[in-house]
Amino acid sequence: MAPEDPVTVSPPPPPPPPTPSLKTKIARRFVKSLAEVWTSRKLATEGGVRKRARRIKIAAYSSMARAVGGSRRAWSRALLAKLQGRAKRRCHLRSQRCLGLKRKRAGSRNMVRNEVSGSDKLRRLVPGGKAMDLCNLLEETSHFVQCLATQVKVMQSIADRYSV
Amino acid sequence: MEPTALTLAGSTDAALESFLNEEIRHLIAPPPESANSFTALLGLPRTRAIELLHSPETPNSPGVAVSGNPTRPYFNCLGDGGGGFAFAADSELVVPAARYSVFAGEKNDSLETSSQKVKNEPLTESDSNHNSSSQPLVSDPTVENKGQRPPKRKDREKKGKASAKKSKNESSEVAEELPYVHVRARRGQATDSHSLAERARREKINARMKLLQELVPGCSKVALLGTWCIDKPQQHSEGSEISGTATVLDEIINHVQSLQRQVELLSMRLAAVNPRVDFNMDSIFAAENVSLVESNFPSMVMPLMWPDVQVNGSRQQYHQQWQFNSLPPPVWGREQDNHNYVTPENSLLSYDSPANSGFPICRTKSFFISPLQRLCTQEPPKMEL
Repeated sequence: MAPEDPVTVSPPPPPPPPTPSLKTKIARRFVKSLAEVWTSRKLATEGGVRKRARRIKIAAYSSMARAVGGSRRAWSRALLAKLQGRAKRRCHLRSQRCLGLKRKRAGSRNMVRNEVSGSDKLRRLVPGGKAMDLCNLLEETSHFVQCLATQVKVMQSIADRYSV
Repeated sequence: MEPTALTLAGSTDAALESFLNEEIRHLIAPPPESANSFTALLGLPRTRAIELLHSPETPNSPGVAVSGNPTRPYFNCLGDGGGGFAFAADSELVVPAARYSVFAGEKNDSLETSSQKVKNEPLTESDSNHNSSSQPLVSDPTVENKGQRPPKRKDREKKGKASAKKSKNESSEVAEELPYVHVRARRGQATDSHSLAERARREKINARMKLLQELVPGCSKVALLGTWCIDKPQQHSEGSEISGTATVLDEIINHVQSLQRQVELLSMRLAAVNPRVDFNMDSIFAAENVSLVESNFPSMVMPLMWPDVQVNGSRQQYHQQWQFNSLPPPVWGREQDNHNYVTPENSLLSYDSPANSGFPICRTKSFFISPLQRLCTQEPPKMEL
């Protein structure tokens, strides 16, 4: 194996590098939820690749947020809240005027888009970023990027393993 | 005199005044010697000096004019040799004499290095500013025309602050502070609690930005490191120095967006995978773990702060509950001898204890066993290195 760095100390202020535990945590949760999606008869029979993809994406984000330890990071809390809110909204509004709501939101989003600056874009990207000051936002961003990269690696390895 | 000039930062205002007078006299005396940058700075811009001379009389115009051409007056005229020191008596130019202690100390250098000295100047300036916080404020009264435009001073102070910070980052635009005597005087307010807090905040933000730069693979550090600095007035001006207009922030945003896109693509890919009939959770997870472990191996040797690890579940082989309550790193190594069998496995799968996360602990399933046994046998010898 490659020579190990016995003392690769992580610098105190920044978030530590993704430890193996983080990766395995993410992997474990994601694999479980992935298995659920794959074995779910409902999703399989409906023939909706997109639906399955969406479910898998939700599973990926939720596994990422949960693996972090939901309360420790603001973005994970916000992410979980968003996912749960979306799940509830899906249940309630499925038969209702969700189309109208979506259109309204898209319109307002387009109008605002021209005025956003760099940090605003970042706030929109990072879950929970709207309520943070810049300093915390950057810290959350760095941790979020780490976890996101780890999640992508996990998904990539699984996909590589199972792709035809 | 030169050592005193260099130690100007720590001297009191009285010493400053005396030094100023000495300095001016000394500089006036040997004009040919003063082919240095300092006198060049004072001597050169005869036109500018005259403008400054007349500035007390015309409060508004020079402020606007000089602010319009921040760098040109001094840099363009740097070529002129020493001379025209007639206006040395002007108190406005006296104060910059005090500020440019670097130049005073380096009289014998040639003009060619003047630009370099000018670059060094703001650094020492910043030091002198830190040191002599009260000094500039006190030296203000020494400037005769102080009373004439305090508001302009404040305006130029902001520009000076901005320009000073710019100079810290880009040594090309150093001479901005040169004409602004009064500006630097006011910058002594760096000791305000507000300014200190702001500075601390900015330092924190800059540190985090640097970390982010290291995280984001796309950022070429050499090009972007010097250009990112969160300064109030000009956050995006440095971005133009890079090829294209992407700043570090944009790079980060692009990276996050690309990661999110990758997640979407991979989820589509995974959705398209036909779940096989003989689909095996064991194999997935085992294979996944193996690849993860192998790729992560160097980092695993690090005795990180171990979270509370709890192994639950109906495992075929171990029906034990291990609880490592924040193992100190050295202990971890020792634990290996005792729990040779289990510890590597725990290192592989660090289960969330209830203390860490509020989520239910994932029970280990039976499928961990076989591949992990293989791994366990492999791990210990390497880990103990």
